Amino acid sequence: MSEQSPVKIRVEKAKKSFIQKSGGAVEAIRELTFDVADNEYVAIVGPTGAGKSVLFDCLLGLKSLDGGRITIDGEPVEKFIRKKGRIARIFQEDRLLPWLTATDNVALGLQIQGVPEAERRERAREWLRAVGLGTFTEALPSEMSGGMRQRTNIARAFATGPEIILLDEAFSALDEITAMRLRSDFRALARRQKMTFLIVTHSIDEAIYLGTRILVFGAPARLVHQIAVPEGASDSPAEVDRIRSEIRHWISVSGRDASTAA
Amino acid sequence: MSDIAVAAPAPSRLRRGAVRALKAVAPFAVLAIAWQTASLFFPPILFPSLGDIAKNILTILTTWDMLSQGLITFARMMFAVMLSLLIGVPIGLAMGLWRGADDFLRPIIKFIMGVPALNWVIIVVIWFSNVELRIAFVLVMLCVPITAFCVYDGVRSIDRKLTDMVLSFGASRAQYIRLLLWPFVKSFAFTATKLNIGNAVRTVIVAELVGASFGIGRELDLAKNVFDMAMVLAWTLIMVAVAIMMTHGVEALERIVLRWRGDHHDRT
Repeated sequence: MSEQSPVKIRVEKAKKSFIQKSGGAVEAIRELTFDVADNEYVAIVGPTGAGKSVLFDCLLGLKSLDGGRITIDGEPVEKFIRKKGRIARIFQEDRLLPWLTATDNVALGLQIQGVPEAERRERAREWLRAVGLGTFTEALPSEMSGGMRQRTNIARAFATGPEIILLDEAFSALDEITAMRLRSDFRALARRQKMTFLIVTHSIDEAIYLGTRILVFGAPARLVHQIAVPEGASDSPAEVDRIRSEIRHWISVSGRDASTAA
Repeated sequence: MSDIAVAAPAPSRLRRGAVRALKAVAPFAVLAIAWQTASLFFPPILFPSLGDIAKNILTILTTWDMLSQGLITFARMMFAVMLSLLIGVPIGLAMGLWRGADDFLRPIIKFIMGVPALNWVIIVVIWFSNVELRIAFVLVMLCVPITAFCVYDGVRSIDRKLTDMVLSFGASRAQYIRLLLWPFVKSFAFTATKLNIGNAVRTVIVAELVGASFGIGRELDLAKNVFDMAMVLAWTLIMVAVAIMMTHGVEALERIVLRWRGDHHDRT
């Protein structure tokens, strides 16, 4: 994290458990603490079931913590999200509404914010052009390929003008070539918009490519290790190998911890 | 070469269309031949000839006094189906959205669903003196539970991931219902409407038979009193035709409103 940048997101000793139907409790987040600076790109890697998506739900105010707290710009997350559209989430699946055209899907977040129809449709079309779908503005999701649908999904997230974007394995359902293009486009858009983003991913290479810092989580979600990614690291095979080995080492350490704890 | 490639499928499509039409017509053709044959050996009171039935259909369609009876019955059915949508959709939405509403309304809807149509007819004869009210009440009581349960199933089957997506943008309860729930549930309301048309056609005549001065039920009662089987069958065929046309009308509307779904047969 850059020392000059103010803290955008602060997660302090966050705890979250769920009660199963059988009656047993499942711990999703355990004493999780980390900061994200303004305009920082943070990638989160960790084993399946590490509570990463639950953390995103908590950041969006969809779930509340059992303990600890999350603040954004110094205020509790519940207060921060009261003004709609400040955080957007890009899911693994496109989650487009099948009855809406690409334009109307992209405009959905703006519609929820209460933006007038003409303005929101214009802004939606601009974002569709920005993600390379300028000629598909009136296409239905069923008429688009998987990559095009995910581009629409990305445009929808950017359209509300969020300060923070949460990417929940956003590129993992795509073929590698499409995913590469979309990662590159997303990174360019995020830099242009000067925003903060967190990406949860199972791909170490994706974390190195998109993140300026990588957090290694254990299961349940807790910070095991963090690695700063130097500028241009993804272009240097030696640097990529070094970071990759370091991440693998810490994931295996967290796995051993989990098995010991169990 | 390309000409041949383009032209070749045409006769094949034509042949397939002809075969499909033949398959659709064949069972009715066999039934008609069997009926006509029976009419040669049995009295008209049991098996009137196809010609007699057709003559009666023509009489109904060209005599305003008779045609208006059919239109009255049709209007009653339409009114009941629409009213059932207006009542059943909010009930189904409430049951799907709120646990308390589900716990309270589900037993009542199930109870109403368990009452046979004929019992409702007897009950309304005792309850109401107004004929239109009697008929509307019976039809609504039979159609509302179907609408409510179809819509309820729609709410329950909505994709949780889409719900999460809409809520992640900060949608209010009202926005969630307007932007996601209602567009999704609409297709279930169409299914309920199609089921209710069949329901209404089967029940309206029973309701009209008891005390109605107008409508097809009344006409059937008159025909029964003089043992006019050809007229009974003529009205029956008209009722079936009306039910099919109403269902086609709803399907056409469904294709317009839910055009995003496309026709799943096109993809197979």
